[in-house]
This record gives sequence, structure tokens and C-alpha cells, in this order.
Amino acid sequence: MSRTTFQSLRSLIALALTLMPTMVLAHSENGVAIDFKGGFTHPIFGPDHVIAMVAVGLWGAFLGMPAMWLLPVVFPVVMAFAGALGVLGVPLPGVEIGIALSAIALGTMVALAARPPLWVAAVLVGAFAVFHGHAHGTELPIGADAVAFSMGFVVATGTLHLAGISFGTLSRWPAGRIAVRAAGGIIAVIGLVYLSRSL
Amino acid sequence: MKDLLLGTLFAFVLMLASPAWAHAPIMGIGGVAGGALHALLIPEHGMSLVALGAFLGRQQPVARRWEALTFMAALTGGLVLIALLGEAALAADFLLLATAILGLLIAVDWAPPFLGWVLAAVTGGALALDSPPEVSSTGEAIRMLIGSGLGAALAVALLGEAAGWFRAYGPLVVMRVLGSWIAAIAILVLSLRIATRLATG
Repeated sequence: MSRTTFQSLRSLIALALTLMPTMVLAHSENGVAIDFKGGFTHPIFGPDHVIAMVAVGLWGAFLGMPAMWLLPVVFPVVMAFAGALGVLGVPLPGVEIGIALSAIALGTMVALAARPPLWVAAVLVGAFAVFHGHAHGTELPIGADAVAFSMGFVVATGTLHLAGISFGTLSRWPAGRIAVRAAGGIIAVIGLVYLSRSL
Repeated sequence: MKDLLLGTLFAFVLMLASPAWAHAPIMGIGGVAGGALHALLIPEHGMSLVALGAFLGRQQPVARRWEALTFMAALTGGLVLIALLGEAALAADFLLLATAILGLLIAVDWAPPFLGWVLAAVTGGALALDSPPEVSSTGEAIRMLIGSGLGAALAVALLGEAAGWFRAYGPLVVMRVLGSWIAAIAILVLSLRIATRLATG
């Protein structure tokens, strides 16, 4: 093989090798992981969402059966419908205010040990789920691994409700009841902070 | 020498191609077993089968078995159609829609038989039409379609019968929570699919 031919071949291989690497992304486009993990962490990394969803569980546990499971059933379904509107770009005014109000209202209900009729509690939780769902929907990455992302997202929401229910079951005991009501008060105060920021 | 250069270039061009996978492959599994696993392990399909099974579990035994047979008939028809057509647009959307409705019905604990017939047929047909075999050989494609049909039919029959045993309060609550999660996931996935389609034209 002549020197010129060898150099040509070497250049050609070098050129071809530069074409070969596939992209190595530390994380996905838009800075959002679009798999199960991304969906799972999406609601958890939003403290305003976390406190409201924990409050749903707390209130459900406080109200007892069947509210304990009915409220966490209502929330994800309504949230998904509102999330779909957000994904499709349907506008909803006052989303951030609604989210802050949800923490205030649900936290206050727990703090005051309010026991409205079950349908009132379900409607209230469903109404606030609209704001949370819409906010999440507008942030969902288009083109994501939709199934894995949505599964992670919904499982995380359910886990947060479960965390609230678990803590809320302490209300069976007098000291636990005080702790749960205090937690409701703290959630309401945090909601007030979010409300002052969003106004 | 020229042949060597061209050959090297051709080899590199071949290496540039990345595989086009609709979903992660299970290495070494094909044929009937591969088709059966395809039906069970694709998340949308698995979720739909669980939803239909849980819904059928709420029915009386006779109605449940007739609705399972309706599912199997629609599934068989759909598999024959997809074998002839090769692909069917919007099948996944109809499957997600049926799954969302099934999830909602489980969540509200309402299982009217007339809806069971319709949803079993839609789920069976859409699931089959959303299972185009991704192989080049006709024989392998037929084996995979048979596997998909057997896997899905068996899963619905078993899940329906198993769900029928859970009549106590605790398992019912778990079912209703599961139904709400399935509905929420299906609604979100469907909306993301529609939004992606609108965004990409």
C-alpha cells in the first residue's frame, strides 16, 4: 500500500468515525427527564403540590371511611382531565392562586377538624385538583415517553396521598390528633406564603 | 485499492444506522412466546388488559364469560385485520380511550353489562390493531400474532376470574384506587399523544 493511499484510507476512517458517535445527553431536552423517574419526581419537586396532596390524604384520614379512599380516588381522575386540558393548551386563569388556595383551604379543614358531608369534601378536593392538574399538564414535555412518564406521575401523586393518610391515621389517638391538626395548620400557613407570592 | 476504500466507507455507513425500535426488545424471544410477552409487557396493552380484567371481575359470572368471549372474538378479528393491513392508525388512541373509560367505571364501582360488551369489543379490536408484528418474515409475523392473541385472551380470562373473587371491602377499595390511577394514566397518555400529533403535524 502506497503512502498516499494509506493516508487517504486513514483520513477516510477518521472522517467516518467522526460521524459515528451518537449523542450522549446527561439529561433530556428542556432539562426534563421524560421517563418513569421524570414523571415520579415531577409532582414531588413542587412543594406547593406536595403539601396540597399530603393535605388531601390527611383530611381523608381525618374524615375516616369512606373519605379516606374516596378523596384520593377523586383527585387523580380530575387532575388528569385538567392535565389533558393543560397539555392541549387550553388556558385556565389563576392557576397559581388556585394551587395556593388549595393548600390554605385543605390545611384549614384539617386544622379545624372540619367534617362536612362527604360530597362537599369530594367536590372541594376535585375543584382544587383542576388547578394542580392544569399546572402539571402545561409543564408535561410533549414527545415524552408518555406511558412511563404518566405512570410515574400518577404513582407519585398516589404516594403523596398515602403519606398524608399514613400520618393522618395518627388522629386516632389524642396526641396524634393534635399533631395532625398542627400539620394542617402548617400547610395552611405555607399556602398563605404561596398565595402572597402569586398575587 | 479503490474497492478497499469503498468497502471501508460502505461498512462505516452501515454502522451509522441505529436500530428503529418501537419499544425495547426482549433479546432472544420471538415466535408465539414473543407475541404473548408483547401483549403482556407493552405498558399500554398490559394496563388495558388489567383494566378490562378488573372490570369483568365486577360482573356476574355468566355475563363476565360472555364479555370475555366478546373480547376474544374482537381480538381475533383485529389480529386477522392487522395481518392483512400491516398497520392501523388511531388504534392506540381507541385503546387508551377504552382503558380510560374502564378505569373510570372501576373507580366509581359501576359495571353495567351493556357497557361491558362494547368496551370488551373495542378493547379487543384496538389492542389487536395496535399490535402490528415488527418482523420481516411472514411465518414469524403469524406466530407472533397468534402469541399476542393467546397472551391477551389468557390474561383477560384469568384477570377477570381472579378479580371476581375479590368481593370484600378492602380489595374493592384497592380496585377502585387502581381504577382511578389507570383512568388518570390513560387520559394523560391520550392527551400527550394528541398534543404530540398536533405539534408535529
